Amino acid sequence: MRKPENLIMMIGALLLLVLLPCLNAYGPPDSALHVSDYTINLWGKYLCYGILAISVNLLWGYTGLLSLGQCLFFSLGGYALGMHLMLKIGKLGQYYQAGNNPLEMPDFMVFMGFPELPAHWVPFHSFGFSVLMVFVVPGVVAFLFGWLAFRSRIKGVYFSILTQALTYAASLMFFQNKFTFGGNNGLTDFKTMLGANLNDADVRRYLYIATVLLLIAVVALVKWLLGTKFGKVQKAIRDSENRVLFSGYATTSFKLFIFVLCALIAGAAGALYVPQVGIINPSEMTTDKSLEAVVWVAVGGRATLLGPVYGAIFVNALKSWATTAYPDYWYIILGGLFVLAVLFAPNGIAGLPQQIKDIAVGWKRRNASSIEPGATPA
Amino acid sequence: MSSQVILAAEGVNKAFDGFKAINDLNFYLDEGELRTVIGPNGAGKSTFLDLITGRTRLDSGKITFGTGVGEEITSKKEYEIYRMGIGRKFQTPSVFTEHTVFDNILLGLKGHRGVFHTLFAKLSSEDSDRIEDVLKIVGLFGKRNDQAGSLAHGQKQWLEIGMLLAQDAKLLLVDEPAAGMTDEETHKTGELLLSLAGKHSIIVIEHDMVFVRQIAKKVTVLHQGHVLCEGTVDDVQNDPEVRSVYLGRGKH
Amino acid sequence: MRAAILMKQFALALLMWLGCQNLSLAQGLPDAAVRQQLIEAVLAEGEDQPEKIEALAETGSGMVAAVLAQWRAGNLLVDASPDGAKVLFTREGIDAVRLDTGVKFSPLAPREVETTSKTRKAIKNALDLIAVASPDPELRSAAIGKLGMTRNTDYLPMLEARQVKESDPGVRKALVEAISVMQLADEDDVVCIAAVRKLGEMRSIPSLDLLKGMITSEDESEAAKAEAAKSVALIESYLKKVEAAGTVFRGLSAGSVLLVVALGLAITFGLMGVINMAHGEMMAVGAYTTYMVQNIFGGGLTLSLFGFGAHVPGMNLTGAAYQSYFIWAVPASFLMAALVGIALERGVIRFLYKRPLESLLATWGISLILQQLFRLVFGPNNVQVSSPSYLSGSFVIHDVVLGYNRVFVIGFAIAIVFVTWLLLTKTSLGLFIRAVMQNRMMASCMGVRTERVNMLTFGFGSGLAGLGGAFLSQLGNVGPNLGQSYIVDSFMTVVVGGVGNLIGTICSAIGIGTVDQTLQSVTDPSMGKIITLSTIILFLLLRPGGLFPTRTRSLEG
Repeated sequence: MRKPENLIMMIGALLLLVLLPCLNAYGPPDSALHVSDYTINLWGKYLCYGILAISVNLLWGYTGLLSLGQCLFFSLGGYALGMHLMLKIGKLGQYYQAGNNPLEMPDFMVFMGFPELPAHWVPFHSFGFSVLMVFVVPGVVAFLFGWLAFRSRIKGVYFSILTQALTYAASLMFFQNKFTFGGNNGLTDFKTMLGANLNDADVRRYLYIATVLLLIAVVALVKWLLGTKFGKVQKAIRDSENRVLFSGYATTSFKLFIFVLCALIAGAAGALYVPQVGIINPSEMTTDKSLEAVVWVAVGGRATLLGPVYGAIFVNALKSWATTAYPDYWYIILGGLFVLAVLFAPNGIAGLPQQIKDIAVGWKRRNASSIEPGATPA
Repeated sequence: MSSQVILAAEGVNKAFDGFKAINDLNFYLDEGELRTVIGPNGAGKSTFLDLITGRTRLDSGKITFGTGVGEEITSKKEYEIYRMGIGRKFQTPSVFTEHTVFDNILLGLKGHRGVFHTLFAKLSSEDSDRIEDVLKIVGLFGKRNDQAGSLAHGQKQWLEIGMLLAQDAKLLLVDEPAAGMTDEETHKTGELLLSLAGKHSIIVIEHDMVFVRQIAKKVTVLHQGHVLCEGTVDDVQNDPEVRSVYLGRGKH
Repeated sequence: MRAAILMKQFALALLMWLGCQNLSLAQGLPDAAVRQQLIEAVLAEGEDQPEKIEALAETGSGMVAAVLAQWRAGNLLVDASPDGAKVLFTREGIDAVRLDTGVKFSPLAPREVETTSKTRKAIKNALDLIAVASPDPELRSAAIGKLGMTRNTDYLPMLEARQVKESDPGVRKALVEAISVMQLADEDDVVCIAAVRKLGEMRSIPSLDLLKGMITSEDESEAAKAEAAKSVALIESYLKKVEAAGTVFRGLSAGSVLLVVALGLAITFGLMGVINMAHGEMMAVGAYTTYMVQNIFGGGLTLSLFGFGAHVPGMNLTGAAYQSYFIWAVPASFLMAALVGIALERGVIRFLYKRPLESLLATWGISLILQQLFRLVFGPNNVQVSSPSYLSGSFVIHDVVLGYNRVFVIGFAIAIVFVTWLLLTKTSLGLFIRAVMQNRMMASCMGVRTERVNMLTFGFGSGLAGLGGAFLSQLGNVGPNLGQSYIVDSFMTVVVGGVGNLIGTICSAIGIGTVDQTLQSVTDPSMGKIITLSTIILFLLLRPGGLFPTRTRSLEG
């Protein structure tokens, strides 16, 4: 039963990890076998979204917690690394070169009239510290919020509504200039990371490979987790939390663990997303973005291992195409897709083969019964 | 047989929006005893179990568990109470429908229940043996790889009882175990409960008087959240007050 | 301060309006003589023209005021007739009306009557003086206030003379204020100090800046300065109260919109258990319906959809008939939103009654579609919904400006709450609704047509959101994203109030709306919002049941 899934995983990993980058690096530029730098970058972005979708699915699909705050954690991770990249612009900044920025602050701070680099920005000069913060910041926010929420037994739609409100409040905060994270425009115009030029095709390819590796690691982690007793408890919580509670498990701790874990995964995805896309701003953490991530999961297949990744790739590829081909109708397509997925394909793309099989069986049965004389219509 | 009290409820009250579900309830259960609780609908039977298992909090009074002095359980969380050794089978069978029968018992199995333990726990051969034993006792060994959701109503009841067995609880709270079972299954359930008495202390809530007659040594009748009377099945059935509660209501 | 400015603007607007109105009113004065005097003043040349203009004020004629106002606006023209005589006339739309006879005619070579800065000033003074004699007490007060602020002591005798015969208390107060303001410049320190004290006692907001100026002025005596400081303190503390009251009032009106919207959500979410993320878009449906009705009453509008333009013809109504559009728009908004809601319930939600999380997601999809439809049909920018005249004025009570539109919204919200309460508790539909919400299966067994009840209930809840949208169009912007800014707020409101508890929703809507507005004016709009939201989130994390948690035994297994 598990065999085809493993095979798909192996082939997919090979394709993404080896074939695509090789074709990008060594494919003759004009041949059909060449994969452009743009494509590599685009797929890097899709796969970051795929990782985000896995975190949404681990919560919603396997634990029954529909969190509308995953984009917040994604963005927090992105901002943490973005701050480091911002500081690394240093002497390449426009204001510095114009002679208006002797302190080498990020340009937006000069523009907004900050007298000096705010104290909480200073440690982000260090790459190690920034990477640590990629995990610590989303983790701590998730821990505090989750601890309070689960302790008060907030679940179901209330959990969704509250995470939505949290995300909304956070995005309002990040939109503020005085919050020191660049307001509307966010952090952008990055130049280098660890001394490497971020606009260089090779560097982008390495970032892409890092994303694939993270994706593989996260898939492996989720696969392992679901196989443990923890995974069984987790699914049991989804199906009947009270029963789990009355079986002696402190469901609060289980939910908190998984919520924080998913925040860390989302944060890591965000941190890889930022250098590849070159910008992070508060529009990445609106509630609509969180819901969009839920769409990926619903379309790809809730409670399936790879469904979220399929969904993220499919919906985003569709978006790339539709926003240029039919810019006016993209939201109608997205909304419609969602309604259809929820109503007619509860198991998404990953569940489609089974669903088609079921329908086919149903057809056969109906046809078979209609042959029998006097059979009642189904 | 030991006659030490294992569960004591004293002066317990619980009201829901003014409705007194439990009214000055006093109840004592001896260690190893099998007690049957009966009473008309709304007498507070299930609420009483809710109070013991921490599902609802009482307004006043206290409930202690354990021989000797006994430990107060009224302020503990559900899972803490469970870990003290109190297991419950719910009125409507509640099993993990998306899990296999085997996994259901596994989740109920006695042992550590911490987050990190469950992450790294390996299924030992002793554990599998124990699970298989339990499955054989409740007659579900042949269905161990089936999804629990696909079981028949009676089988779900058995599975839930199996989870209690796996837990090896000191006190079993069994809410209407015979509901939805055939006469034969009911009888088997009764025999199982009788075989467990002695090793475990058991409270059974039941409506089916045939079943009650089969298992009961001592019966407690609840009425309007209060103990109406206690005694053998015959004592209780001949009690004029009990008759008026049951029959008097029936005539309306 | 803001109140004072508002008041001034308001008075000015009214003055202009009155000027225009009076033009068509016949005046009871010896008309020909007044007209002659007017013409002489306009045509006079040289030093004494300003005096002549100001002297016109003594006629107290509305017609004179109107002509002067026209002059100031550049609508007074002169035409040289063939015999060389100068004919003065005013432009009334496309017509030209002779000043000497008041009859229409066709000018030959018109040119504007020029004004110098001196004449303009004189015109203004004359207008002010005429306004002081206006029969409308409110206009009188406003004009007197303005005169006072000129601090031109030439008016003092005239104002004192008026004070003797004035009977209206409001105008008397204005007179005292104006006279006192003028007396601030009095040579006599005793008079000056008395005036300062008087202004302080009156809590005169318009004179606050003058009094502040006195404290630092070098020309004033120490005694006057001390008195001024006292008066300033009095006025400032009064001003704070006025501003606080204004904030609370604005908060109440914003809270009322939220109340109506949240009440709708309390019904669909609290009672029916449906998470409708498109509830905000139901509001937008209401607001756009108001916009449509307004345009149908006016010149019509062109909608575009899928590349096709559709022109909706207008009725081209004017005046009171046009102004009445809002009266029709309110029920239309309710109906339209209710219809969209019913379509949503029939099309999507009824399949998801047992799956609340899925209904959340599907309705979010719907909300995206609706938003984009608004954008396509009405354009991505905000559309203009004008306030009808009967909603654009305001009351002023103790210097607190109460806009009619806000008073209306508050009043109507109260009425809606009352009607909803009646509907739910006193009608058989309400009984059915409550029955179905408590136990669908049982109600259906008892012969209640649950499908119909679900549909109507959902339609009613959505309709309330539509009403909220109609109200919002009178207070804020109408755009495709209108619903988005309300959806989080309304969900929070319902949850804070305690789900399923309408009284709780009412309390929390009023509370959240008022606190939100207050914080937004104390800090800045988005900071206020952040503080409110964070507080709510924290509150709910600690008390998940909200203000009035519903205790049930429904978890009983």
